Amino acid sequence: MQFGVFSVGDVTPDPLTHRAPTEHERIQAMVRIALKAEEVGLDVFATGEHHNPPFVPSSPTTLLGYIAARTRRLVLSTATTLVTTNDPVKIAEDYAMLQHLAEGRMDLMLGRGNTGPVYPWFGKDIRQGIDLALENYALLHRLWREDVVDWEGRFRTPLQSFTATPRPLDGIPPFVWHGSIRSREIAEQAAYYGDGFFANNIFWPKEHFQRLIRIYRLRFAHYGHGDPDQAVVGLGGQVFMRPNSQDAVREFRPYFDNAPVYGHGPSLEEFMAETPLTVGSPQQVIDRTLAFREYFGDYQRQLFLMDHAGLPLASVLEQLDILGEEVVPVLRAEFAAGRPDRVPDAPTHASLLARAAEEPDPT
Amino acid sequence: MSTPAQSQRLSLVAVSAGLGRPSATRLLVDRLTAATAERLAEHGAAPATRVVELREHASDIANAMVTGFPGSGLRAAVEAVAGADGVIAATPVFTASYSGLFKSFIDVLEDTALAGTPVLLAATGGTMRHSLMLEHTMRPLFAYLRALTVPTGVFAASDDWGAGGDSYTADLSRRIDRAAGELAAFMAGRPRPGGAHGTAEEDEDAVVPFEQRLAQIREPGGG
Repeated sequence: MQFGVFSVGDVTPDPLTHRAPTEHERIQAMVRIALKAEEVGLDVFATGEHHNPPFVPSSPTTLLGYIAARTRRLVLSTATTLVTTNDPVKIAEDYAMLQHLAEGRMDLMLGRGNTGPVYPWFGKDIRQGIDLALENYALLHRLWREDVVDWEGRFRTPLQSFTATPRPLDGIPPFVWHGSIRSREIAEQAAYYGDGFFANNIFWPKEHFQRLIRIYRLRFAHYGHGDPDQAVVGLGGQVFMRPNSQDAVREFRPYFDNAPVYGHGPSLEEFMAETPLTVGSPQQVIDRTLAFREYFGDYQRQLFLMDHAGLPLASVLEQLDILGEEVVPVLRAEFAAGRPDRVPDAPTHASLLARAAEEPDPT
Repeated sequence: MSTPAQSQRLSLVAVSAGLGRPSATRLLVDRLTAATAERLAEHGAAPATRVVELREHASDIANAMVTGFPGSGLRAAVEAVAGADGVIAATPVFTASYSGLFKSFIDVLEDTALAGTPVLLAATGGTMRHSLMLEHTMRPLFAYLRALTVPTGVFAASDDWGAGGDSYTADLSRRIDRAAGELAAFMAGRPRPGGAHGTAEEDEDAVVPFEQRLAQIREPGGG
């Protein structure tokens, strides 16, 4: 099982000092966080993609390519790559280039994006968001698998005799997760292709995501990719820890109360009861995260949101130390115990390469 | 026509946006609920009744605006309304319209939560000059939600609580009775395929098969 962090890349004032980092500071902080993630033994760093302030990461492959050069083991990913407003041809090329530079240590999570104006800024219509996600990925999927593509669709100019370059490393397309918080069409899409499904469950109650993941698992089996418990599931998490849980609550409360997504709404205690947010001791985080398996089944990737709402970089790095030293080793052992052998790990470049070597070429 | 079996009692849920204690809106809701239950009993379908007092959920409604999901207490109220066989929707008139709390509760519901559900519209206000608010704000709101609003809306002004009708206007009791009769008839006559909630679980997991969904994008005006 993989553990990692995902960053939205928001530039938010620290509610205690009222000072916001500059864009430059925030971008450098994201790099520090990624390097720290590798240092403390995490497996994955994923960045968001945004095209409006107060967010900085508009160019994920530039950021991830730089991090790739400064790490050796970390898997670099996204949360999410906007498959609606980016040209699928450019996604195919950018991420194949990243794959070569990172020696295969990458995958990506596709999402639609939920910021209305981004669609028209890129010449798209938000009402066609699902259609864009489905058609663009249908093209992207072919561009990584077929050397020469003829294509005609509804949303982009047709292609005749087009070859996306570079070709994927070792002929292995990057593994794709489909991220969704709402749409069963996306769960169905992930199931159809046998791709991963990431349910970003951090802001809503679990019942909603149990339904989405159930649909994904059943349809994954329907399309012949394996049994429902062999589908590839990723989940989010959001934590803040101190050895003493009262200290964690006291320190995190102003950040919670002013957080961009849920601030000025329910109390920290109410939100913790309703969503996966866990503010407390490392043991509380361990217990809460292990419960995800009860709700959603054995899964493959756990990403934590650690750096948002104006938390200072020093605090985030401390949190990563606790996560890497006290939480993840226990989670690895506990999740491994009782996990059936038939449940696969998250695919990596190496595992996909090994699988391709075993199977005869379908073409 | 057959009537629903006793094991499938109709559910009548009233939403009261009254804020006072006691509240004129709640008073009207209780009379409408009792009258509707009585008329349903004549159809052989005595309902299970429930009143949702929005005041009790005021904080949760504001929180749901911020977080995008209803907290557990509010969730139960939302599910009761969405699962009801008939709804009484009652609000005080605030500034020429339904109250903000009432509208915010409606905003928390899914767009389709009341589609096809019989709904009785009711409001209270200081003077009868506000009575057409039922028609020019409440009814369009429920038309958007594709609810089956019954023809008679019931507006109770302060004077109504101490007055009979005149040669032009039925008094409050007769308007209540007429509206309740209409709601009871809509509820009793409403088709309930597979029982009230018999197929809900199957519907929850329904998806359009991927290739069919992808093909829709290519169709003219599709997707």
